[in-house]
Amino acid sequence: MVETIRSVISILSYFVLPTLLVGFPLYGLIKGVPVYEVFVEGAKEGFDVAVTIIPYLIAILFAIGMFRASGAMDFLVDSLDPVLGLIGVPAEVVPMGIVRPLTGSGSAALVADMIAQYGEDSILVKMAATMFGSTETTFYVIAVYFGAVNIRNTRHAVPAGLFADLVGFLASVYVVRLLFGG
Amino acid sequence: MLNYVWSGLIIFSLIFALAVDSQELWENRFRNDAALPVTVEFPDGFAPDSRRQPITIQIDTSTYKSFFGVQATPDSSYEGTLVQTKEGRQLRFSTDAELPEPLETIRAFHESEENNALRGTLQGDPFGAGIQWGTASVQFDPVRFRKLNAIAEAALNFAETAASLALGLIGILGLMLGLVKIGEEAGLVHALADVVRPVLRPLFPNVPEGHPALANITLNLMANAFGLGNAATPLGIKAMEDLQDLNPSNEKASDDMVMLLALNTSSVQLVPPSLLVAIMGLQINQLIFSIILATTFSTIAGILGTLALSKMPWFRGSAPHRNASPDSPSSSEGTSAPPSDS
Repeated sequence: MVETIRSVISILSYFVLPTLLVGFPLYGLIKGVPVYEVFVEGAKEGFDVAVTIIPYLIAILFAIGMFRASGAMDFLVDSLDPVLGLIGVPAEVVPMGIVRPLTGSGSAALVADMIAQYGEDSILVKMAATMFGSTETTFYVIAVYFGAVNIRNTRHAVPAGLFADLVGFLASVYVVRLLFGG
Repeated sequence: MLNYVWSGLIIFSLIFALAVDSQELWENRFRNDAALPVTVEFPDGFAPDSRRQPITIQIDTSTYKSFFGVQATPDSSYEGTLVQTKEGRQLRFSTDAELPEPLETIRAFHESEENNALRGTLQGDPFGAGIQWGTASVQFDPVRFRKLNAIAEAALNFAETAASLALGLIGILGLMLGLVKIGEEAGLVHALADVVRPVLRPLFPNVPEGHPALANITLNLMANAFGLGNAATPLGIKAMEDLQDLNPSNEKASDDMVMLLALNTSSVQLVPPSLLVAIMGLQINQLIFSIILATTFSTIAGILGTLALSKMPWFRGSAPHRNASPDSPSSSEGTSAPPSDS
């Protein structure tokens, strides 16, 4: 069963990016969108986005880098491993779970750091990347959306958002194990 | 919250580094002021005037163990060179030598771009001209505040990495944002919103039939699903304003608003975020499957969690719709929101 799912996914995965690359322009063409002009218009933002995230990347990467270099990261991982091992969660992905609800660009930095640390093919990187892709920055969304309508008492928004994040965190770990093994 | 996590990382790094460093100094782990006895062999005989000559270095295992107080054992012999410097004769281990701890740490600490060999200064001048081998004492450069040095170095390196990383993402980010923009202009979001709207209907019981709130909520969630972060936020704020119009309270969130929020933070993702594509490259091909699956779980959990929490006495008691008097107009004075202050 699991083997079948894995082989189906490994075949389907070849079509993901090509579908995006062809699908969007094709759909746009059918709908009468001037696809070339619109693409260039959108692509212009690439530079802005990259430059905008630089301060966030610096802030998170240097703090995580210090934390790692001091040996505190190894200490954290070693002390969490026996507990988290019981539920099959590797301690290395815990920082991602903590940072994800707080900062989007910062968690992107964390994924990049984990690639440098554990290698691109590592199961830990796959888990972290899935976490990044599977939830929004809860506290940012709460601040922006409720701030826009002047709501001060957010009631159960924070616990509900964090609960969804926690489930997303655990689901990322188990789903990656299921789909990619390890 | 982020302020505490971030400063916690930095402060804890410093404390941890200082703790490790003081322990190493206290135990004198690197024998900073002592010299290790070694046997040096000269294949061509010792030449006192030669600036640099090949040697073989032998370290006695039991001497090594008791000197550093460790269990690691050195190899039977190491290739090296003897170099005449201003400070005296210097013993340099071959750069490809596999050194036992703590020698490897000492080497790494003093490593520089020009020189990454383990170096030690020879005590005195123990060799006679032409001899084939002799014993000597070697003092390695002291190792102090190793971790403190390491965290400072890491901070500088990672700051540099951050900028070059971000600039390296420009190309793929541009590609993704361009594609996604086409989808946006082509009305992909609207097309899917029509399909999804009936499913969302029961989750927002306080939105009257035909009210624009539900349309904006659906558009917001679909924009999220297609990785249109820039387009999603204004739509989400629009949806929030609609829900606020229906909210009897001015400052308390309604159940519907919390539901919108929970759906937002856990939203199902159909197109991966551009930033993740830029970082992961081709790997995104596979990751999209785990992302879709994980978001499905988190969305279900978000919905169930929100419903369960709203039933809890503490939160149910504070629900604005429950406390509103029956005849108060549900859409009070149609306030469009004052400008944000957060």
